[in-house]
Amino acid sequence: MSDPGTPAFRKPPARPPFHREPLQGEARLDRARAVEELKRFLDLAVREMHLAVEYEITSPGEGGQGPGEPEIVVAFRGADQDLLLERNAELLLALEHIAHRWLRLDPRLHDQVRFDCGDYRATRLEELKLSARVAAQRVRETGQPFQFNPMSSRERRIIHLELTGAAGVRTVSEGSGDRRQLVIYPVKK
Amino acid sequence: MKDLVEAVAKALVDHPEQVQVQAVPGEQATVIELRVHPGDLGKIIGRQGRTAKAIRTLLSASSLKLNKRYTLDILE
Repeated sequence: MSDPGTPAFRKPPARPPFHREPLQGEARLDRARAVEELKRFLDLAVREMHLAVEYEITSPGEGGQGPGEPEIVVAFRGADQDLLLERNAELLLALEHIAHRWLRLDPRLHDQVRFDCGDYRATRLEELKLSARVAAQRVRETGQPFQFNPMSSRERRIIHLELTGAAGVRTVSEGSGDRRQLVIYPVKK
Repeated sequence: MKDLVEAVAKALVDHPEQVQVQAVPGEQATVIELRVHPGDLGKIIGRQGRTAKAIRTLLSASSLKLNKRYTLDILE
């Protein structure tokens, strides 16, 4: 959807383009404030973009139930679900990325505010784990490395974790930026 | 769309009072010109350009919905 023909900016940035907030102490999420701000962002975005979707904000991690569950889940539903999920959920993930910045969320809390639509997250998780196992098996059988397509750090992490301790293979990420991709190598016995 | 870009920019930067957004209608597309404090450029562009890309993704999706092309220019 992005147009590579458009110049990103007319002048190069005068300083390194990314400034990370200093991390201080324990990172905590102010849930009530975050939900308030998310609504402000999403109501505007849905209206301005004329998206035919509704969203629901829930807190599955509330009250300590389900460790590893995110604190806040924003689930979209409606006629424009397909638009959100096109091209590997490009629009859904773009909205999530902007929401994280909008909330000025400490990077350690990014997993705590998750956008979802249909069963996208759960299906993608299963898909990644399954391809990790299938690819690892092939690497064992052929002795040849297998290179995945470029993926986000979070998705690569899922594959790394799935194959932690797997016999006969090791996983590494190679390349940089948007092109970073995970490779499974055979390990000689 | 101008309102959305403006609200997003203001939420992301350290100097919201210096955010200026103009929609310049053209034949092919409406160019949304975004001006921010030079020190805030990094916040708008993001690491490896991810934030600028995400904003452009929103604009492209709206272009589809509204049948009208939008592009984003980030100016210092």
